[in-house]
Amino acid sequence: MTAGTTNPTAAKPRRSWTKEMERFALLGAWAVLIAVFALAVPDTFLTWRTFSAMFGSQAVLVVLALAILVPLTAGDFDLSAANVLVFTAMLVAVTNVQLGLPIGLSIVLALGIGALIGAINAFFVLFFRIHSLIITLGVGTFLQGLTLWMSQSRTISGISMELVQLVVIQRLVGIPLAFYYGLALALIMWWVLEYTIAGRKLLFVGRGREVARLNGVKVDRVRAMALVTSSTLAAIAGVLYAGMTGSADPNSGSSLLLPAFAAAFLGATTLYPGRFNPLGTLLSVYFLITGITGLTMLGADAYVQSLFYGGALVVAVSLSQLVRGRQPQSFG
Amino acid sequence: MKFRATYLLLPFLIPAVAQADAMDDALALIEKHREIPAFVPQGDPFDARTCMADKSVFSIPVTMTIPFAVALEDAMSRAAADVGFRYTVWETQGGMDSYIQGVDQAVSQGYDLVDLAGGLNPVVIGPQLMQAREAGLTVTTTHLYDETQEQADIVDASAKVPFSTVGDILAAWAFVQTDGAPNVLIIGSDDVLPTTPFVESIQASLTEYCPDCAQQYLNVPLAEWGTRIQSGVQSAMLSNPDINFIIPIYDSMSQFVTPALRIAGADVPIASFNGTPFVLDMVREDTVQMVIGESLGWAGYAAVDVQMRQLCGLPVPDDLGIPLVIFDESNIETVGVPANFDDGYGDAHIAGFRELWMLD
Repeated sequence: MTAGTTNPTAAKPRRSWTKEMERFALLGAWAVLIAVFALAVPDTFLTWRTFSAMFGSQAVLVVLALAILVPLTAGDFDLSAANVLVFTAMLVAVTNVQLGLPIGLSIVLALGIGALIGAINAFFVLFFRIHSLIITLGVGTFLQGLTLWMSQSRTISGISMELVQLVVIQRLVGIPLAFYYGLALALIMWWVLEYTIAGRKLLFVGRGREVARLNGVKVDRVRAMALVTSSTLAAIAGVLYAGMTGSADPNSGSSLLLPAFAAAFLGATTLYPGRFNPLGTLLSVYFLITGITGLTMLGADAYVQSLFYGGALVVAVSLSQLVRGRQPQSFG
Repeated sequence: MKFRATYLLLPFLIPAVAQADAMDDALALIEKHREIPAFVPQGDPFDARTCMADKSVFSIPVTMTIPFAVALEDAMSRAAADVGFRYTVWETQGGMDSYIQGVDQAVSQGYDLVDLAGGLNPVVIGPQLMQAREAGLTVTTTHLYDETQEQADIVDASAKVPFSTVGDILAAWAFVQTDGAPNVLIIGSDDVLPTTPFVESIQASLTEYCPDCAQQYLNVPLAEWGTRIQSGVQSAMLSNPDINFIIPIYDSMSQFVTPALRIAGADVPIASFNGTPFVLDMVREDTVQMVIGESLGWAGYAAVDVQMRQLCGLPVPDDLGIPLVIFDESNIETVGVPANFDDGYGDAHIAGFRELWMLD
């Protein structure tokens, strides 16, 4: 009897301690990583220039990861996000460089088209009741074709320097503005998910569509908005991508899709474990780039970087699962 | 006394003289490649129209989604049309399945030659090419190997590219532009077949010009250009702020080098190879300092020359004589606005090849 009453109270603090450990494990791992590289290459790694370069260079990946995180939270996949990024970057290049539209108008057009692509994704997923994985894969491939057609398979350079200035040349505290766009977006998303009804509905839908529906949540509307938001954010990533390089090419941006998913899944192991969360995603991106930067500074071969990237993801997610008692994962 | 003083100064004078010689050599090499080239026949003339009357060629490009391959195939098609033989381009978007399908088509439709163009490595479809050869087809490659590389056993002839010469020119350019004190970051992709001799020629030439000068190599696989070049260049610049020149060996890499330099706050000149139009535009915009261009029109005609000589039982020249032209701020206007693949090299090759093939 005594044992019966004692055990739950004894177990409770242990569980919360483990959870707290889990929440901040990635942050700790990041600190360890920084310390290791600081010891290995102290003169070059531990400088503000290094950190400003790391922070400033990853904004596109941060925004793309935040984009796919919205439908992931609602239990849907958006595999078209990277293609939306490439398509909208190319749209900015074509309209600004070849058609001579002002850069502001090109950006507005790109964001509008991005939202429209999200609406198309949502229509096919929800009206025809087809898994988002299939539809977004198809729409993404279709967009790839459109991008090749629109660009005639060429890279287009010469995008307005006003955009390049606003993305990568102008700085605040030594860090290119691009970083602050990603940071601001992550903070806004965190606030929306934590403190607004729309955000809580999104989480609800992701946890169990049927339960959400029985509680009066308009599940289809929430999922549709998630897909539209995802494509719009991917279009923002496309605009940043165009501003980062001052050009748009029809292929390379699509290679960002897997790193974005890696960051989203790795982010789900930290701060709010078991839940896709924007701040965790942000942390993951910078954890991964810290590893890549340090390894490059140490002269590691290209394959070592891939080993780190893939290895970090698998190890972190596996450890997180161990801490959570190996509960089965479900993505809707 | 005078003699002794000179003797004591010798250790200082000899390197200075050597450096002056190296600078002269580098400048001479650069000047040689500034000129618009004249056509020099690389083999004996032959009656191409008669020889090719009943012959046909099936060309499989690495992918038709990159403008480089499209421009190369266009030139090869034009050359074949000039001669008047059947020339088919397999409109692939890349991928092993489509390459295999292409070889099957060439065999089943009775073509005489199957050509792999624009960097498609024959080894990846070795069994299919063996079957094609057993069926009597000739196998060639276009724009894959460096002139110093041996072709695979399953290949009969190759239109090779002088990547090693390009490497020498790039090294000379970096040496001159840094006033004889280069500290160079070279970016390559070891998974692309000619990269190794290309990079080795840059490294060897730099060492020859300046044995004590620093150089660093960054290997980024082709599929990871979009995600790894930027971070790699940033890290290299941060860990070695003395880098004063960057050579991304394939010029499409430049678009990822530029943002890295902006973020790292570095102003380092870039020189590269290929002559891809958007990079030539970057030379005009002063984002890239120099690009060595190759005329794809010329390369296409030279490749068809190789194919025809192989089919007609004639010796295939080792050196195709494809010109390499330096484009920098002094002559960038010659490539067109916006730039394209063919302008800036003249059109001497068209009349030259027509004469070589006895078409007029």
